[in-house]
Parts: sequence; C-alpha cells; structure tokens
Amino acid sequence: MNENAKDINSDADDPLNASGVSKKSLVIFFVIDTSASMKGKKIGELNTVMEELIPEIRKVGGADTDIKLAVLTFSTETKWMYSFPVSVESFEWIRLNASGVTSMGKAFEELSEKMSRNSFLNSPSLSFAPVIFLMTDGYPSDDYKKGLKMLQSNSWYKFGMKTALGIGNDADDDMLKEFTGSADTVVHAYTGGQLAKMIRIVAVTASQIGSKSMTLAEENKELTENDVFASKQKLLGQQIQELVSKDDDDFSFDTGW
Amino acid sequence: MVELKIGQQIEMEFGGKAKVLKIIGSGGQGIVYLVEFNRMKWALKWYDIDKIKHPKEFRRNIQNNIADGAPSNRFLWPKYLTKELSDGSFGYLMELKPDNFDSFVDILNTYKLVVDPFTGYAEKKPVRFSSLYAMVTAVINIVNAFRQLHRDGKSYQDLNDGGFFINVDTGAVLVCDCDNIAPEGSNFGIGGKPGYMAPEIVRGIAKPDVQTDKYSLAVVLFRLLFRGDPMEGERVVKDVCLTETSELKHYGQNALFVYDPYDASNRPVMGIHDNVIKFWRLYPDYIKDAFIRSFTVGLEDPNKRIIENEWQQLFIRLRAEIIKCDCGRTNFTTMFGKNDESTYKCPKCGSIFPTISFSNHDFRFPLYAGRKFFDCEIDMDSNEFLNVAGEIVANKNNPSILGIRNCSEKNWKVKMPDGKYYNVPSGKGFQIWDGLEIDFGNVTAKID
Ligand SMILES: [Zn+2]
Repeated sequence: MNENAKDINSDADDPLNASGVSKKSLVIFFVIDTSASMKGKKIGELNTVMEELIPEIRKVGGADTDIKLAVLTFSTETKWMYSFPVSVESFEWIRLNASGVTSMGKAFEELSEKMSRNSFLNSPSLSFAPVIFLMTDGYPSDDYKKGLKMLQSNSWYKFGMKTALGIGNDADDDMLKEFTGSADTVVHAYTGGQLAKMIRIVAVTASQIGSKSMTLAEENKELTENDVFASKQKLLGQQIQELVSKDDDDFSFDTGW
Repeated sequence: MVELKIGQQIEMEFGGKAKVLKIIGSGGQGIVYLVEFNRMKWALKWYDIDKIKHPKEFRRNIQNNIADGAPSNRFLWPKYLTKELSDGSFGYLMELKPDNFDSFVDILNTYKLVVDPFTGYAEKKPVRFSSLYAMVTAVINIVNAFRQLHRDGKSYQDLNDGGFFINVDTGAVLVCDCDNIAPEGSNFGIGGKPGYMAPEIVRGIAKPDVQTDKYSLAVVLFRLLFRGDPMEGERVVKDVCLTETSELKHYGQNALFVYDPYDASNRPVMGIHDNVIKFWRLYPDYIKDAFIRSFTVGLEDPNKRIIENEWQQLFIRLRAEIIKCDCGRTNFTTMFGKNDESTYKCPKCGSIFPTISFSNHDFRFPLYAGRKFFDCEIDMDSNEFLNVAGEIVANKNNPSILGIRNCSEKNWKVKMPDGKYYNVPSGKGFQIWDGLEIDFGNVTAKID
C-alpha cells in the first residue's frame, strides 16, 4: 500500500473505507465418539475426512455467513477441541485419538450447557440455528436419556438441524433417531469409504441448508409460519436420503474395522 | 452426483471432446471444471442433475440461450453444451473468468482467501476498489447489464452476490451463472438466495421474473455501496436466532427497510451495522431516495420498483459528482461542501473547485484535472457511458491552469475570452475561463 492510499484509508468519510459486511453466524457442532471401539481405522478415516472437509465448507459461507466449527469429543470424559467455536477460515483440525467408554449422556449435557447465548452462541449479530452432527459407533455407557432430556429443553437444539451418523454394526439407529427427532437425518456407515462419504454428504448439505436455503412454495400460495416451521430439518432429511440412495459402492462392507 | 475425473473426456453436443483438467469451483447446482476443448481452455459447469427440478426443460432453455447469444459482452454466457451421459447429467462450456476480476463475494468480504497449493494454508488478501470512480462505474455496469438482459425479454431469476465478477481497478463487470436466465414468464424451479429474494417470492405468492430481478438488483446495489443488508436492523437482530419463521417474517411478510422514513423500528445497530450507518450519510439525497423508494413502496408493489434506466441515470450523475482533490480526498460533492453557488471547497485542504453547467442536466459538474466527460453527458442521443468525450487537463507549463481536451469525434464550438466562437476539433484543447461556453451540438455547457 502506498503513502497516498494510507492517507485515504484514515479518512472516516471515505466511501471506499469499508469493513466486511456483517455476517450471520452458523455454528456447526460436531459431537464425536472417541471411545476405545473407535480406535484404528474408524478414527483414522474420520480424522482424514474432517481435515479434507474444512476447505469444502469454507466455500459455503460466501459473504453472508460466517461458518464456525465447534468439536466436542466424548469417551470417558468430554472434551472440546477448542474452547470456543472457530471460524472455518482459520480452523485447523487436531487429529483425535480413541480410548475409554462412551459417555454420551455426559456429552449431551455438556453440549446443552455450551449451546447458549452466554456461551458458544454469543455472536453480537444474527445467528442461524446451529447444525448438530453426532457420530458414534456404539451404545452409550451412561444414562443418555437424562442428558438428552436436558438438550431437548434447549431452544437452540429445538430450532437447530440435528443429524447423526452410526458407524459399524453396534451403533443403534433408534437411539440416534431419538437424538435427531427424525429418521431421515440418520445415516449409517459400514466401511471406511462409506464413513468418509457420509460425513461429507451430511456436513456439506447441512452447512449449505443452514446458511442458505429458504422454503420455497410449491404452488402460489402464501406461506404461513406452520409451513416453514422446521423446514430446514425436513429439507436436510430429504437431501441426505436422496444423496445416500445414490450411494453406488455397494460392495460388501469391511467387518475387520 | 456424477463427479468428473481429471483427464476424463466429455463429448460435446456438436462433436469433439472436452478434457477435464481440474476443479475450479462448486456451487449449489454443480461443479465447475477447467477443461480443454479445441486447444483452448474453458470453464465447464457440470450439473448435479438431482438438484435440477426439470432437467429436460432446463437443458432446452440453455440450448435456447446459447442460440440467442449473450445480451452483451458483460456476460459469461453459455457457449457449448455437452452430450448427456447415460444418467442424463450434462454441462456447458463458457469462457474463463479473466484473472484481473474478483468475485463480488470477495469484494463484500473485503478480502479473498488464497490457498497455498503446497501447504494448504489459507491466506487473506485484501480486495477493494482502487478508486471511487471504479466503484461507481461498476454500479453503472451492473445496472446496464440487467437493462440489456431485460430488454432481451429475459430474467436472471436468482440474482445474488455470487453472480458477478468485478475488476476493482476499472469497474468492469462480468455477470456469471447465466444458466438460470430464462424468458420472461418461465421458471425452472430456482428460487433465489435469502436476503436477495423479493418479498413476494419469500412469501410464496410469486415466482422469479423481471420484477423480482429489480428487487434483487436494488439489494445488490445497496450491498455494494452500503456494505450491509437493507432489511437487517434492530428489529431483526432482536430475534438473535434466525429461524425459518423469522426469515419469513423479516424478508417476507413484515420486511422493513432499515432507513424507512416512517418507521424507525429497524434502524441499523451500532457495533453490527457500522458500514451502513457510516456510508448512508455520505450519499446525496437522490441516491438515498431511490433506495428508500425501492425498499418501501417497491417492497409491496413490484411496479413501483426503480427501472434499470433510472438507476443508470442516477449513477451516471453520481459518477459526475465525484471530486478528486490533490490533497488525497476523494468524495462526492455532497461531502465537499459549497464555497458559493458555483464552486465547491475541499474541507481538508481548502482547495476551490469551479463547476460547469450543462443544458441537459440540472446539476453542476465539478472541474479538476483528470476528470472526464462521457458521450452520454454531452450528446442527448447517446447512451454511451464509458466512451470518453472530453477530459480536464492541467497546462503543461502552469499546472494551476486547467483546460478541456476534446476526445470525441465531433467538432465543438467554444467561446473564448475575446467573445468569439472558435472551432475545437477532435484532439484539441482550450483553456477554462469564467464565462466559457461550449456548444457540443445538441447540448451546450457554460461556466458562469
Ligand atoms: Zn483537498
């Protein structure tokens, strides 16, 4: 920047001296099972796909949405990757390790606590309802119902888009449906290839819908609040199901995770 | 969706093959690849066919658009279709965006992310207009591109910040994503982007057309100049969480302009909408009034929206009212202040700027070395807003003496201090003096 330009910059009246447009924020919560059963190929595949996913999500936000990521892992204890949501533009994935038991209930409680205006969702400007993406390969070892109940009374959770990925044979899709509130947003992966694919489909679709889409009327009929209520969750379900059904590598799954 | 592989050969509709070289972008409807066809590099937009509601009609529409050709050279228009693969998926070729154009999204962000191909590390590089002249020229170019499109009987449908590339040094504009452009009255299922969609689309009672394009165009212009959302103020921010219901309310049923003169309940909020607060007061009333009209009466009644030609006239005037002072201050005349009826004064250094009045304009043009006149300003019959017809130049021997050079093809008649008129042919210049009169043909100008 030359001297002249610097001078213009300091001019408070300068019509060119803009800061970036105020953005709406969208926080994507990844809630990831890192219990011992995830060890090896599952966690390896998960780490790799998450690293590769971040540049893809970067492109989704555009000039309107600041997409932030918050990663909560749970095994015996729960742990946040960073102590606050980090913009996807500067997010760096820290590779996860797996050990311990599956304290999913504890994770739900921790999530509910941080999903608040006074904590993780404290952006001064507008926020979209968050995306919450749960990934697990097993059944909770603690009382998950108590934690889930707490979560269900959180209004960010209520308006948010909930989606879940069951990994391998032991993950319980019924329990995951309880978490998401709809069967359409639950997917399952039995192989490393599927795992990568599902994470990508779910995360990219959810961030696109979360930050952009709006319900469009099928016919020319005035939309009511009822028509649009939870429409993003429904749309996410539809799109995930369409994309998943296109899944063409249907060869027998790898039992030797 | 069917993603293409690097090196894959795609058959083109009328023969030949395009070879896929790499991915250069992705969007809601598909992926854009760099390809080679006929020994030239092109961009190939390849559709995620599942996301297209009516693929056959959609393809036929692109075919028609290719046959019709672009409304002007301001469009990155579809050039060639590919054949369909067995699953029905297809794409089209268009010219590549030149390197010296930045996306409108990056301009709004004020930076772009440049990813180092080796480390993968993303670095922020500033993106901003290098002059006020370039920014206002970009506005005129955008408005004019949509005027041309609408005159061709077509509408863009999903006008938003992803639809333009702009050269921040010249203000040149390229309209991209031209694949949803359709003849007036048709729609192939595209809705639009929240914040840019006309309220009647958000409410579900209308489909995109020329009138909804006009609303979206006003939003694009507002965002470019004021760097914020025209409907996002105090009332919207109070909701904290933007749910589907609040979107329907704030962008549809109860949309309220942040500077609605009769309802102050949605004003921009300090600390969040600082750009809008800061820039709104810099612009002259005729610009502010046009936005107020667009976002008040134009909200409810699509026929009251500002037509492109009116925007074009307003911004050509705004461009003429830029003053660039030697002290570094560049701003609109409203931010310079009047010295007397016919001169402006720089509030920073005190320099005085004389003005010239034109018979076809009811405002006075400030004069300073480097300012240009354009064909449309000195010829009633001209629409050419980029052709320079005249330029103010400083005398080589005494830079404090200004003159005007005739850059047009025409002969001008100029009154000199001796009271007589002289011919000033193309390429020649003459001194500015108190009492100067110029006869351009069907327009006259004078300093008085
Ligand atoms: Zn000055």
